[in-house]
Amino acid sequence: MKKKIGSALVVGAGISGIRSALDLAELGYQVKLIDRAPNLGGTLTQLDYQFPTDHCGMCKMLPLVERDSSSQYCLRKGLFHENIEIMLSTELVALEGEPGKFQASLRQKPAIVDPESCTGCGECSHVCPVEVADEFNAGLTKRKAIYLPVPHNIPNSYTVDLAACTLCGECEKICPTGAIDFRWEARKQFRILVVDDELIVRDSLKDWLTEDGFQVDAAESGPDALEKMTKQSYHLMLLDIKMPDMDGVEVLKRAKEMRPDIAVVMMTAYATVETAVEAMKIGALDYLMKPFDPETLVPLVVKLYENIERSGEREIEVGAVVLATGFGSYDPASGSNTYGYGEYPNVVTSIEFERIISGTGPNRGRLIRPSDGKEIRKVAWLQCVGSRDIQTNADYCSSVCCMFSIKEALLAKERTGGQVDAAIFYMDMRTFGKNFQRYREKAEKEYNVRFQRSRVHSVEPGGANGDLRISYTDLDGAGREEIVDLVVLATGQRPPKGTEPLSELTGVELNSWGFCQLQPFSLSLTAKEGVFAGGSFSGLRDISESVIQANSASLHASSLIHSKGGGLSEATEKSPEFRDVSREFPRTMVALCTCGDSLVLSADFDGVETTVSGLNSVTQVHRIERICTQEGWKELEEKFNDSKANRLLIGACLPYVYKGKLRELGKATGLNPALMEVVDICTPSFPSRNTDPQQVSREIRTTISMGVGKLKGMDPSSLKAIPVIQKALVVGGGIGGMSAALAIADHGFEVDLVEKEGDLGGNLRTLHRTLEGDPPQELLEQTVSRVEKHPNIQVYKNAQVLNSLGRAGRFLTTIEKEEGEGETLEHGVTVLATGGKEATTESYGYGKSEAILTQHQLEDKLHQGSISPADLRVVTMIQCVDSREEPRNYCSRICCGSTLKNALYLKDQNPDLDIYVLYRDIMAYGFLENYYTQARQKGVFFIQYNVDDKPRVEVENGQVAVGVTDPILGREVTIKSDLLVLSTGIVPNGQNELAQLFGVEVDQDGFFQEAEYKWRPVDFLKEGVFTCGIAHSPRSVTETMAMADAAAQRALRILNNERLMAGSTVAEVRHSLCSLCERCITACPYGARLHDEYEGKIIVDALTCQGCGSCASVCPNSASVLRGYRDQQMFSVIDAALADMF
Amino acid sequence: MEEFEPTIIAFVCNWCTYTAADLAGTSRLSYPPNVRLIRMMCTGMVDPKYVIKALLEGADAILISGCHPGDCHYINGNYKARRRVRLLKEILPRFGFAEGRVKLTWIGASEGVDFAATIKEMVEEVKALGPNQTKEQMVI
Repeated sequence: MKKKIGSALVVGAGISGIRSALDLAELGYQVKLIDRAPNLGGTLTQLDYQFPTDHCGMCKMLPLVERDSSSQYCLRKGLFHENIEIMLSTELVALEGEPGKFQASLRQKPAIVDPESCTGCGECSHVCPVEVADEFNAGLTKRKAIYLPVPHNIPNSYTVDLAACTLCGECEKICPTGAIDFRWEARKQFRILVVDDELIVRDSLKDWLTEDGFQVDAAESGPDALEKMTKQSYHLMLLDIKMPDMDGVEVLKRAKEMRPDIAVVMMTAYATVETAVEAMKIGALDYLMKPFDPETLVPLVVKLYENIERSGEREIEVGAVVLATGFGSYDPASGSNTYGYGEYPNVVTSIEFERIISGTGPNRGRLIRPSDGKEIRKVAWLQCVGSRDIQTNADYCSSVCCMFSIKEALLAKERTGGQVDAAIFYMDMRTFGKNFQRYREKAEKEYNVRFQRSRVHSVEPGGANGDLRISYTDLDGAGREEIVDLVVLATGQRPPKGTEPLSELTGVELNSWGFCQLQPFSLSLTAKEGVFAGGSFSGLRDISESVIQANSASLHASSLIHSKGGGLSEATEKSPEFRDVSREFPRTMVALCTCGDSLVLSADFDGVETTVSGLNSVTQVHRIERICTQEGWKELEEKFNDSKANRLLIGACLPYVYKGKLRELGKATGLNPALMEVVDICTPSFPSRNTDPQQVSREIRTTISMGVGKLKGMDPSSLKAIPVIQKALVVGGGIGGMSAALAIADHGFEVDLVEKEGDLGGNLRTLHRTLEGDPPQELLEQTVSRVEKHPNIQVYKNAQVLNSLGRAGRFLTTIEKEEGEGETLEHGVTVLATGGKEATTESYGYGKSEAILTQHQLEDKLHQGSISPADLRVVTMIQCVDSREEPRNYCSRICCGSTLKNALYLKDQNPDLDIYVLYRDIMAYGFLENYYTQARQKGVFFIQYNVDDKPRVEVENGQVAVGVTDPILGREVTIKSDLLVLSTGIVPNGQNELAQLFGVEVDQDGFFQEAEYKWRPVDFLKEGVFTCGIAHSPRSVTETMAMADAAAQRALRILNNERLMAGSTVAEVRHSLCSLCERCITACPYGARLHDEYEGKIIVDALTCQGCGSCASVCPNSASVLRGYRDQQMFSVIDAALADMF
Repeated sequence: MEEFEPTIIAFVCNWCTYTAADLAGTSRLSYPPNVRLIRMMCTGMVDPKYVIKALLEGADAILISGCHPGDCHYINGNYKARRRVRLLKEILPRFGFAEGRVKLTWIGASEGVDFAATIKEMVEEVKALGPNQTKEQMVI
């Protein structure tokens, strides 16, 4: 069968970009992943620690099925996937065409350092005379103009920062591999025309630029320039705006008529900047401000030259585009209250603090302050700097700062054994996500982080040298001061640079703050069909939500490509047939990279060769100069083809880089890549570590012998593919379940949708309004009708799951249908979307009076008309009823939004009505903040209460009186209310029973327990089962739908294949040795093993197995083995490691 | 007599400590060359017999290092390693090995500095312990 393949472009290679790219690649699409930065990873490259584990878990995003198609190592270091092409330093410059068939133009910045030849030795950086602030360490350290953008990336080659480079050429001279090339010769071909009426300008420009190798002519007026253009063709014109007989703009117009491809840069004095901007609209490339000096002008021209001449512009055709350009940070120095940022070195931003505490940071993780290196003992975090701030046009909450400040405070405590005094100054502590509240309490109670509700108004120097005095007003109105060592500003998020041009060229719309404007009820659909938003491009998301949203964006991209006929792969490509070498003796070819000559010089290569040739199984040893280059690789391929070997060991540097190459070599030569290995022989010989050639030779000998030992014992038999039943089961017919079912069905797969009630829709049926004003009932009607009419969806109403068996790729689930009839469904994946419900309560007099009701009931009664706003005078609302304290110690996330919605509605209907909202923290995260502001502007009263001093409710003759301590007045107030509305929060809806049936977990609150909160938010540990919506944790309709997309996306990556391949590192059982003790079954963290009692065997589900080897190490009989790590292999490796000791 | 240079076998997990070791290498951090890295998928798969085998074959000390608790790529492999090393330390003296010859640490992927420091520290410790005499004393 022919394989139908689509392609997609992902712009931005941060977390969400990588997630989207991996999603699409796993579905079989060809993906271009671009980023304008010279490195992958976005903000995450700078963050070593993430909430809630306080470590990094990014690698958990890597593919779990078909693992061999991608890299299997730390994802912060780099990424390889056979369907993803990564282009760095690249920007999207044009997008034409239509959804399903876009032409995207990509412009890649010129590479002055050839990544193929750069060995990362760093000589260039040593000689570079320029020092500028290092972005990686948030400006806390300096770097050179030729530098490594991220120290831990691979492959990692040096990059020239042309904006900083003075073009002295020292690096080019010293580079031992000739990787740096400023191409001075080519410059002579580049002709520049300087047009200015002032002689001095013409002469000096000509002098400066000629000295730097360009061909320069000068013209004294417009007509003169145009005449010169008829005689000679120019690449670049530097054009003055103000000239006597013909002004610059006119010259520009005519010049463009004569030579449309000429690049023109306007030269302007301050007064004519506007004209210059106008000129850019009619075709000028840029403008330069007078007066010039050679230090700034020449590099600018060089940069232009590089961009014009050498940047490769490439046009590609893609079906869909995902924009995941991330976020920018607010610069505190730009605001009206700078808190001394930029002035006092000990005032830092949160990202700077991340670098201070990082092992790769300026102090290698020591907690010392920037100004004087003094140990940090007292830190204050100031929240909401540049967020929730109308003065800086940021009437929104940045959503993530509360949690990262708590995390940073915890890290500081841990790093110093609790010696740091950490205080967080906040307005509302927004712990609205899953487990956030408990994390906060852990910080407060176990680690003694101080939470101080107040706004710091000023930061000044105080106390000892470098210390800072912060002044704030306490809740009781008293002015207070503290002296601290360090102030950390939790800076808010802003749209990233370049968002506006990007929105113009792609046609997506921006909201009033400059973030991408999404379509109603979606977190990924933009105004432009075919262009989807991922991550913080549409505003303010933490990692978990970015991942969900990236999944959602890639799902919609996939749906679009699919609907336009680009399609998922119709048939899985036959897995390559590898030569069967299981009956051959191991014959290993060893290839040693000499890294030019540098390795040969630092080690005794002849000795190494002799030793290695003598090793058992080694048939040939070759030296190859630079295996990393194309020529080197070709040489290796030829040698290997001639060698008749059935094992290949390569000694080179950066083994990570070779994953893809080995896969290709396997396809080309017919040898299973599992029988090839790359070991690092370069790192041990780095000059700073070791210069003794004997030592280096010994290191290399040992490394190679260990590799040979491991390869020799490698199991040469090939793996079997596992068949997949390409059908899905969705449990729960609310908006989450329906959305997931539709997404899967739209991709052409059959879906069984099981709903226990008689109608589809779940909680959405009783939702009448949303804060944003989008009509929920229309959404419900449309969705239900699409589900019911969809040819691929079979709906079972009044039905429930009785039993389920099986594993990813093949489940058997029995359901009970209407009238008690049973049916067994076969499916490859399962989505659990059973939702939740509003909690009931006995607190605050609920049930004692008709005037006391829940938010949900209020909404319903307002909709039915049984409560009329006009009849009300005073309404009181209490937030966090029975929530955010044990045993329900979590935030239900949507109650504050509902309260704002109902309060605004009541105020709108009856402006004279008094509304009092009694709250602990208003969780108006993201753009909801705007509605909180509106509510306050319209006169809703917000009174904060503490959990140990809750409001008191008395009911007399049907009249409700609410007593609360007002923290600002400092005394008790009583509010006689016509209505008391309680936000009771959300509780799970029978997740426990389903979890048992499907072999998955629930958390301590009874919601489904995901595999990993941040990186795998919709997966269970058990592969093939996914969750979405409130069943996982409370969330809004829109958020539920995005999560449903994510679950569908995760399901599709399995469904999409008729057969799936297990990874080459997979566990197996040698049944003849197995005593069926079942220890391996309990040891397996993925539930990938089961005891087949009928066969009397332990079975490994190769798809679920991730190759951790836990089973092998608990097996008392060595019956359980992990491919690639069998006992005899490990023993040979150990032997080899010890053969050559000191 | 020449100063005793110990040989340390380090079983490191693919995700965290191997990455950290690589980072230490590529960041040109200097640490003593006395360590031989054996990359495992997870510390949870380090079978005690590998440790004992290495000691019997003459390694002066063994380092097992993986992801921080709570951070294992395979959910809980490092906890398994922790339990196992604890038990292993109980029986080591019966083989005639000092307990200090086996060490378990957590070094995350970004902690190249910690990796270098751990190796430095461990080499000093093992130098203090002196060479592993087992190979001379035991007849297997």
